Amino acid sequence: MRFLDSHVHMVSRTTDDYQRMAASGVTAIIEPSFWQGQPRTEPGTFKDYFNTLIGFERFRASQFGIKHYCTIGLNPKEANNEKLAEAVMELLPLYICKEGVVGIGEIGFDDQTRAEEKYLRLQAQLALEADLPIQIHTPHRDKKLGTIRTMDVLEDVGIDPGKVIIDHNNEETVKTVLDRGYWAAFTIYPHTKLGNERMVEILREYGAERIIVDSAADWGISDALAVPKTAALMKERGITLERIEQVTYRNPLAAYEQSGQISERDWEGSEGIDPTALFEGNTLLRGGMDVTTAMSQYLMIE
Amino acid sequence: MRAFLTDLLKASAPAEAVAWLQERITEQETRFSKRPFYYAFSGVSRHFPKHGSIEITSEEGAQLRERFPGFSMDHWDAFRLARVLLLLTLAKQEKTVFLETIAALLNTADLREQAAIYSSYALLPHQEELIESAIDGLRSNIVDVYDSIALNNPFPSAHFTDAAWNQMVLKAIFISRPLYRITGLDARRNGELAAAISYLAHERWAAGRRIPADAWRNCVGFVTDEISADLHHLLETGDPTDREAAALVLASDGDPRLADLRGRLEGEIDAIGSGTLSWDRLGEKLEFPVTLNGAPAKA
Repeated sequence: MRFLDSHVHMVSRTTDDYQRMAASGVTAIIEPSFWQGQPRTEPGTFKDYFNTLIGFERFRASQFGIKHYCTIGLNPKEANNEKLAEAVMELLPLYICKEGVVGIGEIGFDDQTRAEEKYLRLQAQLALEADLPIQIHTPHRDKKLGTIRTMDVLEDVGIDPGKVIIDHNNEETVKTVLDRGYWAAFTIYPHTKLGNERMVEILREYGAERIIVDSAADWGISDALAVPKTAALMKERGITLERIEQVTYRNPLAAYEQSGQISERDWEGSEGIDPTALFEGNTLLRGGMDVTTAMSQYLMIE
Repeated sequence: MRAFLTDLLKASAPAEAVAWLQERITEQETRFSKRPFYYAFSGVSRHFPKHGSIEITSEEGAQLRERFPGFSMDHWDAFRLARVLLLLTLAKQEKTVFLETIAALLNTADLREQAAIYSSYALLPHQEELIESAIDGLRSNIVDVYDSIALNNPFPSAHFTDAAWNQMVLKAIFISRPLYRITGLDARRNGELAAAISYLAHERWAAGRRIPADAWRNCVGFVTDEISADLHHLLETGDPTDREAAALVLASDGDPRLADLRGRLEGEIDAIGSGTLSWDRLGEKLEFPVTLNGAPAKA
């Protein structure tokens, strides 16, 4: 089996992560543009960040046999620095039509300010013009209302929900997101977002249609193997392989394939890994890496 | 040149994509404007097939070599050729606009865009103004970007100082790039480079490692006591490709310090005489395969 982690910030990760991801069957990844912990003070640093996403990071991933794609956008936190935000908006058109840019993202709300709404709206319009999918970051605080408000803004701009992936969902947001026709992504991120046992229950309740599992691994305590680990846990808990493949590979592919910039053809010939074999502790050697070790001693992310 | 390249693209790419490109070219020729030009340059990836390589017949290859000695389009894909055609359109603009636009493109270019820009340098005007950016491009560790400047491209040998040339060749060795595909490698040999190859060999030997045998190609004509001792050392410790390299140095360098090697390399010297061994053949044999995106291919 192979996996597409549709949300992972590789600029913050080491080559050890790349090795372990490749060894665990992660074939393709999508890196959203986001803030980097330290707020940027100059538009030029955004430009260099975007250049890294379409340049060196793509190359770095390729060294491990992983196909790297990205989404480009102004994140909601930094949208609050309006002078900077204006300058970044000027840059975006230069990037959104580049090869391997599979959407505008991650955009949305953080503090749910007026400025955040302004740049969400402007970037939604840009996505409409460029006919690109949108990757949505939902806020940590006041998540449910923030999610609803995001969908209201997008629909007001005239965006088709089928072209929007709403990320960082939880039990409280999933129903309304699915009911309104959006893709619902779940970030398996220890402590602050969602553990993967909860994910298994969500899958039982809502099925696999339009559901996506990702890691959002970044510079915080997070897990670059969250997708393969969750797949293995799902298998252990009796979810069918077909469903597992749907939420960890087929659905993210179908959602972002709408950009015309990602296709299974891009990684044809790569072998993939069987997560049951992983889970049962078989030693699969690939790229000089012991997968059992790579998957670490635990599967559960809490 | 443009007509020739357009025909090559037509033979390898879908008609709608070529028609789209020709519309953009006509538009830019009628009224050049930077932003639409940037969009067209990036937009190539939205119209041409991502995996489309350019097929060149042997007659076309010969024509190309005749018009642009040292220039080759081996390993080119449709994205690159389409973008080079746009750059040839840009080449008709006045110098300032041309240079500003090239710099702006490089400023936000993705991997394949960078490769397209650098590999077109030998076809563009105002080349003396492009030298610094080519040297800067070689600082990249991204293989495709490095290759687009260093390999099958007559630009560096035509313009680089010895210092820049030597850095490029040494870096090729460090990142395992095929030396025989560097245009002008033999013509640009120099004593400093030969000495640097020798130092590098010593450093590697001290670490229990080696240098690719064809690196010694850079030492022909610049044999010193040190290099002579290195070649003798290779015969004691090296593998068959090192012996071939020593024979190739010997065959084209009459330095008396090497004369005694002749008796020990008879088989290799015969192979050179019969045409089965040459620097290029040795280079091909040593070439490390890479995929289109610059990743080392899986063995």
